[in-house]
Amino acid sequence: MNIIELDEVHKSYDGVAVLRGVTLRVPPGIVYGVLGPHGAGKTTLIHLMLGFLRPDRGVIRIFGSSNLQQVDGRVGYVPERLRYHTRYTVREYLWYLGRFSGLSGATLRRRVNAEMSATGLDSVADRPMSALSRGMLQRVGIAQALLSEPELLLIDEPTATLDPEGQREIIELLAAVRKRGCTILMATHFLDEADLLCDRIGILHGGRIVAEAETCTLQRPARSIVITVADLPQAAETALTALSPAVHCNRREIVLNPNTPELQAQVVRLLLDHAITIITLAPQRHPIEEFYLEAVRGHPQREESSETPPHGPSGAGDALLHELLRREEQRTLEDQPSRRL
Amino acid sequence: MNALVRTFWFAVFTLDEYLRSGRIVVELAAAAVAYYLFFRRWTTPMTPEYFFSTVSLFTLGLTIYTGSSILALGDRPAGYVALARRLGRGPYLLGLYLAVLAVSWGVYGAICLLVAFTNPIRGLDVTGWALGTIPLLLNLALLAAFLTLLTPIVLPAPWRLAVLALVALAFSGSLIGGAALSSLPESVATALDVMRTILSTPLLPAFTGFAISVSRDYSGASAVVPVAQLFLVIGLLAFAVYSFAKREIVFSG
Repeated sequence: MNIIELDEVHKSYDGVAVLRGVTLRVPPGIVYGVLGPHGAGKTTLIHLMLGFLRPDRGVIRIFGSSNLQQVDGRVGYVPERLRYHTRYTVREYLWYLGRFSGLSGATLRRRVNAEMSATGLDSVADRPMSALSRGMLQRVGIAQALLSEPELLLIDEPTATLDPEGQREIIELLAAVRKRGCTILMATHFLDEADLLCDRIGILHGGRIVAEAETCTLQRPARSIVITVADLPQAAETALTALSPAVHCNRREIVLNPNTPELQAQVVRLLLDHAITIITLAPQRHPIEEFYLEAVRGHPQREESSETPPHGPSGAGDALLHELLRREEQRTLEDQPSRRL
Repeated sequence: MNALVRTFWFAVFTLDEYLRSGRIVVELAAAAVAYYLFFRRWTTPMTPEYFFSTVSLFTLGLTIYTGSSILALGDRPAGYVALARRLGRGPYLLGLYLAVLAVSWGVYGAICLLVAFTNPIRGLDVTGWALGTIPLLLNLALLAAFLTLLTPIVLPAPWRLAVLALVALAFSGSLIGGAALSSLPESVATALDVMRTILSTPLLPAFTGFAISVSRDYSGASAVVPVAQLFLVIGLLAFAVYSFAKREIVFSG
């Protein structure tokens, strides 16, 4: 039995469609990443699963039940925005939330202490939450979600509001949570986060899951790679471009596009033969990034109303996609001089 | 039983947060001012009628402030974390309601204690106090339930406006009466009278409750008024919980 089953789920705000037929299956024990830009409908999707919102059409089943209020105690939720009841200390807050989950007495104390330890909150346990950093608040968010030992964890953009250091810490923490074996659905717009934490990803674009993949299958040789060198003499450059039309170079960089393991080996051998120092050899694009772009290009987003819904996603804020496309255009422009060479 | 326990803990949680926020100072300051102006020892001792009528009006006014402040605490994104647990929507809303009631009744209790110690009311024993207090507390509960029903998380805006319009119509006698009423076509005036009678009926327990609180006269049919108040409270709360359970939850902010 799948833990989460969504069939053709539609949701709109004031006539603006946010989800247009999401179909999703999450089997037990995996970490499923819903990947999409801001405004794609990720938070809406999670709020639908929590029963805060109701679908206009379609069916949502959690643990096989479409009555979502029956599964409340089996689901943990980490919200995106760090909005908590900050007048309490961490310990008090977790204690109260444990009470709401039906815990009491020694069990409640044990669970609060255990989760504070597991999430690294011991040192701030008796500090008011209003005095905590964003990273620490997100740890509180994770601790409270784990308090009742849920079978399913719904995590909404866990690192969206954090600085790089905080992001790294939370990713490490979630990697530890992953080992507990509960099923996790995580919404994110960070490709690296999805790559590091998820077993399976689904691309939410235009209100639908337009593509899904196991992250392990995306660990394939990069379609294009960039080799950065200290200095490329003219003779080596000529020899490299003679290898294949897929080789593009200038004095500092060699781009193999499309790349093959054989071509890559030939180029590296030639560089070593010419005693050229290789500084870096890296994929031009991350495999998940490539997968994302392929998925999005294959399913162009529909024309949206310019009206923004009052709450939550708009379906129009495709910032990540734009950023990726911009970066790709920039790379293309950078490649053009070498092609002309 | 579990739902009752969770409701209790959410009420404690809300009340605790309200106290920590410092907003309770407003209620305490208002109570102190009211005591100084209306209930401390002046030249003549207070009568029970004066005490109950004045304290009723004061606590009803204060409940409007307390209700709007505490109920607003429930309309914040922080509420998602509480609601995602086993708490449930009913206990969430009733917890907010009970927190309002605790503050409102607490302020009344504090005033009563102050008065009892500093300016005892002539001719009012404990029984008389209890007889006046029961309908008064039920009226506070009624107002708090009405405010809960009108919270944005419970009723959508058009419904809230409709409820307020009906209440305004029920109270329109002082605005559209006498000469104004007689200037209307007879059919319109009759229709207006019928509407007022129908709409003001649910408000009768509140008004008669106030009257009984002041007079402490439970003779005849008056004895059922507190029961009617209680049923009206339960009815309003049931409607509020039902509406909240049916609504999509989109908190402000």
